[in-house]
This record gives sequence, structure tokens and C-alpha cells, in this order.
Amino acid sequence: MHIADGMVPAQFCIGGYAATGLLSWVCLRQINRVSDPAQGIPKAALLTATFFVASLLHIPIPPASVHLVLNGLLGVVLGYYAFLAVLIGLFFQAIMFGHGGLSTLGINAIIMGLPALLAALIFRSGLWLLRSFPNRWAMGISAFFGGAIALILAVSLFAVLAVLGLPGGVDAIAERTAIFALVTAHLPLAVIEGAFTTLVVLFLDQVKPDLLKHTW
Amino acid sequence: MSLSWNKEIYTPQNSWLHAWEPRFKLLGFSALILAFAMVRQWQLLPFIVLLTAVLYRTSQLPLDFLTRRLRYPGLILLGLVGLLPFISGQTVIWQWGLLTLRQEGCLAVGLIAGRFFSITTLGLLLLATTPFVVLVRSLRSLGLPVLIADMTLLSYRYLFDIGDNFNTMRTAMRLRGFQHHAKRLITLSWLNQLASLAGSLLIRSYEQSERVYQAMRLRGYSPHTRPPKTQSAALSSWHGFALGSVLLMAVGVIAADFVVSRV
Repeated sequence: MHIADGMVPAQFCIGGYAATGLLSWVCLRQINRVSDPAQGIPKAALLTATFFVASLLHIPIPPASVHLVLNGLLGVVLGYYAFLAVLIGLFFQAIMFGHGGLSTLGINAIIMGLPALLAALIFRSGLWLLRSFPNRWAMGISAFFGGAIALILAVSLFAVLAVLGLPGGVDAIAERTAIFALVTAHLPLAVIEGAFTTLVVLFLDQVKPDLLKHTW
Repeated sequence: MSLSWNKEIYTPQNSWLHAWEPRFKLLGFSALILAFAMVRQWQLLPFIVLLTAVLYRTSQLPLDFLTRRLRYPGLILLGLVGLLPFISGQTVIWQWGLLTLRQEGCLAVGLIAGRFFSITTLGLLLLATTPFVVLVRSLRSLGLPVLIADMTLLSYRYLFDIGDNFNTMRTAMRLRGFQHHAKRLITLSWLNQLASLAGSLLIRSYEQSERVYQAMRLRGYSPHTRPPKTQSAALSSWHGFALGSVLLMAVGVIAADFVVSRV
């Protein structure tokens, strides 16, 4: 679900880098508001590496298998650091596997990072809205919607940008059909991603609740 | 599944690209990548592919290194744009039953493939001729925020340790009978096991990060510490000349694309 080098015109790449620069600036500003921003660097760095490794987990959906995206979980655990973690993770993917690309790093960071920030917002808002529910229920429901919506938004952004960016001119009906088909095909994966996010968040809440108290 | 990525893409050789000052190389290659991404006219494809091939040849990197690195992303790209010749455009160049090959779609795929080859090869050249740590330091000296640079270096430092941890934990799980057959549908209990594995890995990393932070503080780390100045005065003039030449090539490609689009 990454846009490869050469797939979209330069305007998309430049726009992607501009939007990534802006979002990174906003995140850095929020991170630097805490009294000791250096304290968060090792935590965010090691968790970035962990998410990168964990995203290689494959879920069997016969006859094939899919890998988890985990951008929703990343947002829930890392908060404002999530966007920077996505950016770094995508950089590693581009240099190690050739997945994505250096020219499309900005655009891919928006596709994966914006939903991660949204997942963090959904998780925090969900906890507040469901504060009358038992804590584990509130946490589970918020995490599910955070994880599932983050994936759906990432797929939607990818589909729209990939289809609009293709040269050659595909007619409008075919474009809409392709986008709809791509998003619909990912709905079962969104449910799996949401369930996985819920299970990990509940596990962390039980074993190491400190991990869910990030800087928001 | 095992984590079998390449730890370091950097391949030591004695080429001018290896010796080129990393900041100049970053600027030059970024401009060239941007110029290649701006190509919209298929007539320019042979030129940018040839230019890329010449640069690759001068880097003294082996050819199979390039083909190995291009195979996987190339297949993904093919999966994404492989249908374009059959659905994009109006000019039919071949038809067999319902299968119709269209000229505009073929040109679009050619354009994407040409740009992909050139840009990916340039990116690979940049990474294969510059050690990773030097690359991040150069990015930092060109204005990358300290927090992002430090996060990148620390993530890179621990990525392979965490990967090894992950493989050990998965093997331990398998040895204790926690295994899922690939042909069976996913179950909630299996998903729960995977979530516990991911959660345990996150907790281990979190605890390690606290130890890393303490060690960094003891060594006087602060994100406000400025990196030592590099001795740019010692650079010989060919570094600047090489940057100028590459920038000129980038401008030439953009200008040629503009001129061809007007003809």
C-alpha cells in the first residue's frame, strides 16, 4: 500500500513532501512543549523499530496472507511521535526493501501518518466519551475504532492518490470503481487490524499501562 | 517468517561517487530525482535511462546488486499498473476478443517504468555509496530536525536487535505448540497470541528504551548539542564541479521535458 517511485507525477511528490514537512513541524512543536523532550526520543525510537518489526507479522487469509499495517496502534501508543515514527519506518522500508521510494516518501508518510494521528485522536476521544463505561471496555472499543478507521483512511488515501496520479487518463467511472473496489476489499482487513489493536492495547493496559500514557 | 533484510546497503568501492562529499551528493541526487519525477514525455525516457545507466556504471557497483534490489519493488509496481494498457486510453492497437490493448495505456506504463527504474536506481546509488550514519548526519547538517535525526539513528541502531528478539520469541512460541497453519482461517485465539507477542516485544523495547535514556543522560546527551563542524575548507574543487554538473543535468531534463511538450 505504498506509492512507488515514478508512479505519480512530480507535483504529487512535492506536495507530499510539503504536507509532510508541515505535519512534522506541528508534531515537533507539540513534542517540544513537554519539559524534557529528550526523554521521549529513545522510547519513540525503539518503539518505531519495534513497530517496523511487528508490521512484518503475516495474517493468513487463505489462499494468501497479509501483513499488518499497525498505523492505528502506532498512533495510540506514540501520540504525536507517531507521525515521525511512520516517516522513519517508511524510510527504512524504502532503503531496505525498495518498498515505496525516496521520491514518494512524503506522499507515503501522509498516507500512513495522517491516519496514525487520527487514530490517536479517536482513542483519546473514545476514552473521554465512554468514561462512564468500565475502563477496559472503553479502552477496547476506542482502540478498535482507532485501528480500523486508521487502516480504512490509509487505504482510501492510497487509492485516491494512486488512481488520480496515474498518467494516461482512465475514465471517471473506472476511477471511481477502482477506488471503491480497493477500499471495499480492505474492509475485512480493517476489522482484523481493529481487533488486533484492541488486543494489544488491552494486553499493554494489563501488563505495562505506562506505555499508553504518552505525551498528548 | 524470518527477518532477512540487508543490514547495510553501503558497498565500499573506489569510485568518484563514493568519494563525493555526502552533502553535495544528497543535493545533487535530490535534484536529479526530482527532475526525473517531472518527466511527462515518453520521448525523454531513453535519455534518463541512459544517464542513470552511466551513473551506475561509474559507481563500480555490480549489476546483479541492482537487479536483486529492483526485482521486488518492480513486481509490486507491475501489480499496480499492469492493467493500464487494457483500460486506459482510446487508441486501440491490438484486439483479441474482449482483450483490447490501448496505445495511451502502454505509453503510461512505459513512462512509469522508465521513471521508476531511473529514480529507484538513483536512490540505490545514493545509499550504496554513502554509509547510513554519514547520510543521516549529512541530512542533519542540511537542516533535518535533531529529534528526527536522533530518532532515525537510534531506531536503526536497535532495529536488528529487536528483529533478533522477535525471531527468538516466535521460535519459542512455536516450540511450545503455538502455531497456526497457513491454510486455515484466522481465529480470535490465534490473533490474541500474535497480539501478546507484539505486546511483549513493545514492553521489552520500552524497558530497554528507559535504560538507553539513562545511559544517554549519563554521557551528557542533549538534543540541543550541536554536532561538530565538518572541515568543508579541505574539500577540493571537484566536489563543487560535480554538484554543478549534476544540477545542470537536472535543469536540462526539466527544460527538455518542457520543450518536447510544446512541440
